Amino acid sequence: MREPTVPVICLRVLSVVAVLSGASGCASAPSPDDPDAVAEFLQVNDPMEPVNRDVFEVNRVLDKAVLKPVATVYKAAAPEFVRTRVSNFLANLRSPVIFANDVLQGEFKRAATTFLRFFINTTIGVGGMNDMASALEIEGHDEDFGQTLAVWGVEEGPFVMLPLFGPSNPRDTVGLVVDFVFDPLRMWASNTDSNYVPLARAGADAVDIRSENLEVLDDLEKSSLDFYAAIRSLYRQRRADAVSNGAGSATVPAPGIGELPGGPTLEAAEELSRR
Amino acid sequence: MLKRLGFIAALCGVMLLGRDVITSASASSLEAESSAFITELADKAVSSLTAKDANRGERISRFRSLFNESFAVRSIGKFVLGRYWKKASDDERKEYLGLFEDLMVVSYVDRFAQYAGESLMVKKTRGENKSTATVFSEIERPGGAKAIRINWRVGTNGKIYKILDVVVEGTSMSNTLRSDFSSIIRRNGGKVAGLIDELRIKTAALKTE
Repeated sequence: MREPTVPVICLRVLSVVAVLSGASGCASAPSPDDPDAVAEFLQVNDPMEPVNRDVFEVNRVLDKAVLKPVATVYKAAAPEFVRTRVSNFLANLRSPVIFANDVLQGEFKRAATTFLRFFINTTIGVGGMNDMASALEIEGHDEDFGQTLAVWGVEEGPFVMLPLFGPSNPRDTVGLVVDFVFDPLRMWASNTDSNYVPLARAGADAVDIRSENLEVLDDLEKSSLDFYAAIRSLYRQRRADAVSNGAGSATVPAPGIGELPGGPTLEAAEELSRR
Repeated sequence: MLKRLGFIAALCGVMLLGRDVITSASASSLEAESSAFITELADKAVSSLTAKDANRGERISRFRSLFNESFAVRSIGKFVLGRYWKKASDDERKEYLGLFEDLMVVSYVDRFAQYAGESLMVKKTRGENKSTATVFSEIERPGGAKAIRINWRVGTNGKIYKILDVVVEGTSMSNTLRSDFSSIIRRNGGKVAGLIDELRIKTAALKTE
């Protein structure tokens, strides 16, 4: 008898949460007479906000009780040398999934890089523990099926706070499940009845990522008035950044664009170039 | 006739050439100046915030002047308030801007001081339009940890340069604050006064840390 996999458990929890919160789980839409409020409501795009906030609170309790203390102790106790190697090892395990998504996005150069890195780091990097490829200036990157769907033109959809997994949306949730199901390591584990492997790896990933984000999340919690809203915004921006591979879009709204005068000389140059 | 045509052609040539020279010169000087502005800021931050003799109160006051000198505080504050800026009264705007500055200074002074001690490397600069540029930089962490990617959105009026936004690992400070603040206002029945109350409590708590 096979044990249920992580996404299956996750979907079960999600359906229980949805049933428990019932009909009261929807954010109330603003009056259609106020176009600004309607535009804001659509932009926030979080119709399940009350449920999401409840799930967020549960996640926070779990984080405070388990994940954060473990990550803090790990960061304090394990030397940088060890943590870097653990991080490299886990990143190397992700290579097949990254490679597949590079290919699916038509990024063949990046796919070649991922392949080369996997080869170098697994062999002379001793099982992925040493990032020899970066030392040779073959820098790594991350990809996942949520990003692939985005490249294919799939919209992210409304914001969703997943139990345990945290901030997401329908597109990235599908991505999470697809990456999990098609991960060669998981396939091997499931064929050899070693289901503890994906679980152990998920735990290690969680601690590794959490320990790297201790400062960022503490800062955000400290400076924000509504931590949930800040996390929602942070997640969306990070995903947009990941989809664009860190290109730093000039189309992201920013203060002062169009407010600062160009100055007479620049104005004149602009005028000249149009002629 | 032929002579005249030749003259017109030459004139056109000069105009075309001139046009290219003017545009590329202004774009590259914007990029160079923006990049220099960020490097200078990093140096200033190192010298004023990492001094061992300064206690936290002293560092806060130094960071406050650095912040006002280098950041377009009013533009950022206005952007962060978004559509509610129009709804706020003059008194509310004034109090909000003061509290916004306080919040930024007390929540970022420690991290800024910490990062200032590590080396900031400008990777490239991209002019976005005639008055703004994005400076792509990385902060190298000690001990081989992953470098932090920081993009600075810099604006100029031709003379002075100011930071409009800081984007850390893809997350814009201004946009995150905007979502945060507008959520607070919505939950307070669309009233800016509700945000001001919460800002007062928050900044008071952070100051006594």
